[in-house]
Amino acid sequence: MKKAGEKTALKRSKEEEEEQNQIFNFNRKPADEDKDDDLSDSEDSVYSGLEDSGSDAEGEEGSDEKEEDDDDDDDDKMKERTEEEVSEEKKEDEYEHDSSDEEDIRNTVGNIPVEWYKDFPHIGYNLDGKKIYKPIRNKDELDDFLDKMENPEYWRTVHDKQTGSDIVLSDDQVELVNRLQRGQFGDVNFNEYEPMVEFFSSDVMIHPITNRPADKRSFIPSLTEKEKVSKLVHAIKMGWLKPRRVEDDGRGRYYDLWASEDSSILARHRMHLPAPKIPLPGHHESYNPPPEYLFTDEERALWEQQDPGDRKLPFVPRKYSSLRQVPAFSHFIHERFERCLDLYLCPRQRKMRVNVNPEDLIPQLPKPKDLQPFPTTQSLVYRGHSGLVRSISVSPSGQWLASGSDDGSVRFWEVCSSRCMKMVQVGGAVKSIAWNPNPSVCLLAVALDSVVLILSPSLADKQVILSSERLLSAQQEGEEPAEGNGSVVWSEAEGEELNQGVRLKIQHPKAVHQVVWHAKGDYLASVMPDNTSHLQVYIHQLSQRRSQNPFSRNKGLVQCVSFHPIRPYFFVATQRSIRIYNLVKQEMTKKLQANSKWISSMAVHPGGDHVICGSYDCKLSWFDLDLSTKPYKMLRHHKKAVRGVAYHRLYPLFASASDDGSVIICHGTVYNDLLQNPLIVPVKVLRGHVMTHDLGVLDVTFHPTQPWVFSSGADATIRLFT
Amino acid sequence: MSQIQARFFTEDKRYVVDDVPFSIPAASEVQELSNVINKLLEAKNASHSKVEFDFLVRGQFLRTSLSAHMETESILTEEVVEIEYVERITAPEPEECMMHDDWISSVDADAEWILTGSYDKTARIWSTEGKPVMTVPGHTDVVKDVAWVKREGLTSLLLTASLDQTVLLWEWNSERNKVEARHCCRGHAGSVDTISVDPTGTKVRLLQTIFPVLSVPTDEQDEIKEPADRPRKKQKTQQLGLTRTPLMTLSGHSEAVSSVLWCDSEEVCSASWDHTIRIWDVDTGGMKTTLTGSKVFNCISYSPLCRRLASGSTDRHIRLWDPRTKDGSLVLLSLTSHTGWVTAVKWAPSHEHQLVSGSLDNLIKLWDTRSCKAPLYDLAAHEDKVFCVDWTESGLMLSGGADNKLYTYRYSAQQAEA
Repeated sequence: MKKAGEKTALKRSKEEEEEQNQIFNFNRKPADEDKDDDLSDSEDSVYSGLEDSGSDAEGEEGSDEKEEDDDDDDDDKMKERTEEEVSEEKKEDEYEHDSSDEEDIRNTVGNIPVEWYKDFPHIGYNLDGKKIYKPIRNKDELDDFLDKMENPEYWRTVHDKQTGSDIVLSDDQVELVNRLQRGQFGDVNFNEYEPMVEFFSSDVMIHPITNRPADKRSFIPSLTEKEKVSKLVHAIKMGWLKPRRVEDDGRGRYYDLWASEDSSILARHRMHLPAPKIPLPGHHESYNPPPEYLFTDEERALWEQQDPGDRKLPFVPRKYSSLRQVPAFSHFIHERFERCLDLYLCPRQRKMRVNVNPEDLIPQLPKPKDLQPFPTTQSLVYRGHSGLVRSISVSPSGQWLASGSDDGSVRFWEVCSSRCMKMVQVGGAVKSIAWNPNPSVCLLAVALDSVVLILSPSLADKQVILSSERLLSAQQEGEEPAEGNGSVVWSEAEGEELNQGVRLKIQHPKAVHQVVWHAKGDYLASVMPDNTSHLQVYIHQLSQRRSQNPFSRNKGLVQCVSFHPIRPYFFVATQRSIRIYNLVKQEMTKKLQANSKWISSMAVHPGGDHVICGSYDCKLSWFDLDLSTKPYKMLRHHKKAVRGVAYHRLYPLFASASDDGSVIICHGTVYNDLLQNPLIVPVKVLRGHVMTHDLGVLDVTFHPTQPWVFSSGADATIRLFT
Repeated sequence: MSQIQARFFTEDKRYVVDDVPFSIPAASEVQELSNVINKLLEAKNASHSKVEFDFLVRGQFLRTSLSAHMETESILTEEVVEIEYVERITAPEPEECMMHDDWISSVDADAEWILTGSYDKTARIWSTEGKPVMTVPGHTDVVKDVAWVKREGLTSLLLTASLDQTVLLWEWNSERNKVEARHCCRGHAGSVDTISVDPTGTKVRLLQTIFPVLSVPTDEQDEIKEPADRPRKKQKTQQLGLTRTPLMTLSGHSEAVSSVLWCDSEEVCSASWDHTIRIWDVDTGGMKTTLTGSKVFNCISYSPLCRRLASGSTDRHIRLWDPRTKDGSLVLLSLTSHTGWVTAVKWAPSHEHQLVSGSLDNLIKLWDTRSCKAPLYDLAAHEDKVFCVDWTESGLMLSGGADNKLYTYRYSAQQAEA
């Protein structure tokens, strides 16, 4: 329509005067600009095709009008112009009041274009069917202009097309027009802000607004939706469509608001300790306590005598007939003060409970099954002795076992058959027995009373027996040993004893408790425990028949001694400690603290760097000489005093015998690596010995080559466990 | 599961039944099966007298109910089970008890005579009826092993080994009942614990072992003695005969050798406390195979019938080995029932599956390798440790021990080879 309007305007500009044209142009200018805008803004035009088509339709409409306009031009331009002006207004009006209610009842022709009557003198018919004649329009433009200039009502005069008359609008009408133009309601009295009636509210009303039953489709899933969803799902499955990834913002939507909070504040909150509460009042505090809570005279007297701190109650319970009669508490201030002191001075400490799984504290030890071989079962019992067997020793070959008993005999057993091959009556309770570790001689040292006997059991190769005899007889040639100390007497055995195999007697001044050989087999140490003398240990040299006392001072009651298997060291166990002496330098190199009350026995590892010692207070201590002078490990597996300990020569085993009748075998691997500590695992408890006179197992020793252990007990038997 | 299809068969011609599958209750045990066979045999042969049978399912003796046995052996019950039956080996019957003065260390018996070695330093010869025939004194220490060498008519050669480091070769005339020492074999540096005689007999070889009392323990020795020359006639000049020295020393064991034997004329087998069994070539003196165990070996025995070695250990197991395996550390079978050291083990001379073992738990056990879970019979005659067992081909079983008694048992001579 705008285009059409513009075209007419252009035509007119050629024919009419410039001024009017300008007005028109002026009027149309914004449309023109709009059009330019339209053209220039191609995006918009492409964008909204709908508007385009609409404009086309308007164009067509407009072109119709144009034709009509062209016809009009010929008649009366003045009229045409006014008409056009009015028609512009009216057109708007027409749209405004385009309803049957608003039908003009003065003219009955209806809502038809007025042009149809332009050639007639009338413009329609009134209700009576009479023609309504057009008013005589003799006004020309000049009249119109004059009218405009002179008529004060001109601005409110409107040409009514239906009747063709000019109507002067009343003030009310003008007001109405103004209101409508402002977009307000025509009726002045209309209140647009009436309070709303909430028909659709959240409240459920008893009467529904609509009583229509719910559609069926509201109950069944939508097929189209389902189709859509299944298409999407299929696309996702085939990988054509990637579901939108949930982007995670660094902090997350929800985050710990207090994360950056100063931890000390939190800690203070967490470490808060509530003040101790005062106990609730009991019957004592009651103004009317039951009579048993009241003090008797004695109790009262006692209460008064007692120191305020010792009193059970800080006050005397009293009885009043009514609460009104209760006087003020005289100690109130004092009591509050005490309470404040309590709160102020009371030490508050959080008890830290350590949550430790007790299983974690147990060290990871290998299973005994993985540490085989070790003795597990009793295989043989060597019976024959009639007294308790104090000491046993196995020959270096492992074929023979020698045992010394309180019945005054030394027996020799065949290990593999438990046959007693030989018995030597020595005439005294045998305290200790030791087989010479040198395999090229076959000699046995036996300690009984104050004598050490050297036996040649002749249970070996002829050559070996000969060599051991030679060793003994060599001493005879180099006789006259300078027995400087004089207290030790060497003598040859004679007569019956000689036939039994006794070769030498070494008479000591005191009762000998232990004999032990040096690894080479030439030196022999004997122990005579005596708290009062320095003559406790003798070292004898067999080939020279010499004896010497290595110590000039008494360092305590010597329990047992041992030679180092390789180096020239000598171990002396006193009651509480083990001293290690260097025999070459003649000085003490180390002193081991056993941490036990009374050492009973000691054994040196075949490597020489480890010592175990058993004590009468049921303990077994393992010393690592390179590590410390304190025990590396204390084993408290025995119930009663430990009587004997032994190392195996080849296998990583050690055993301890105890008065509780058991022998405990432990695995003790020693590593060459200095950084690695020995691995000690108890592997087996061997039982078998019968308790006799509260004594169990008295001695224990290992077989030299097999993982077998011998134990001798107070029940006069020796048992072999394999 | 209540019925099982089974087919019975036997090697024994006397007791053959028809080769037809039978449906038998799964819970049936040996006694019921035996009744079934007896019924079948009676139906076939009216004169059949009842015989007790034993049953083998896939080479294993049936000892529990059939279903339990098949479950443990994982045999399918759907198929027809092949069950072999043999006449039950009757329990050995104790016959004689020969009292000795001291522990019996060894026994060797042949068809006529029994030779025992004792801890009273003598060897004794007994008749199989239990009559003492001869006492052979001469050793100065415990006799640890004895062996018959050969018999030519009335004269026999026998060997005794002793703790006094000697082995004596004796000639015994059974008619005159006189014994003469012919040779004294020396050379061991320790006690001689065991001897063995070459079974081929063409040359008289003997093998002896020692207990090591040597200065260097690796220097253990087995010794073979071969009196190859003819015996000289000078025995009378010396009380104990001529001294002989070893022909060959087999060294390699690091500890005491507990048992030796001849596998055949070229091979010698030795068991030792160093946990090994070694097989030696006699001609070269070199070691052929080493079988390594984990425990001390006390005794070994070889059966030429099944070519297996049986060894008794201190861990109370009897183990069967195949000596022909090259890197033999493989135990074929373990027989476990003893509760003490196994001190003696011997294969049956005429039966490839049976062996007898003696142990320190005072028991003799008769084993069948087809029933390795439990022994066939326990013979609890001894009151003390058992040290030696032996079989004879004439159906006699012997055992001696620390209760000074030598027991003989009569067992049903096997007809398996028949």
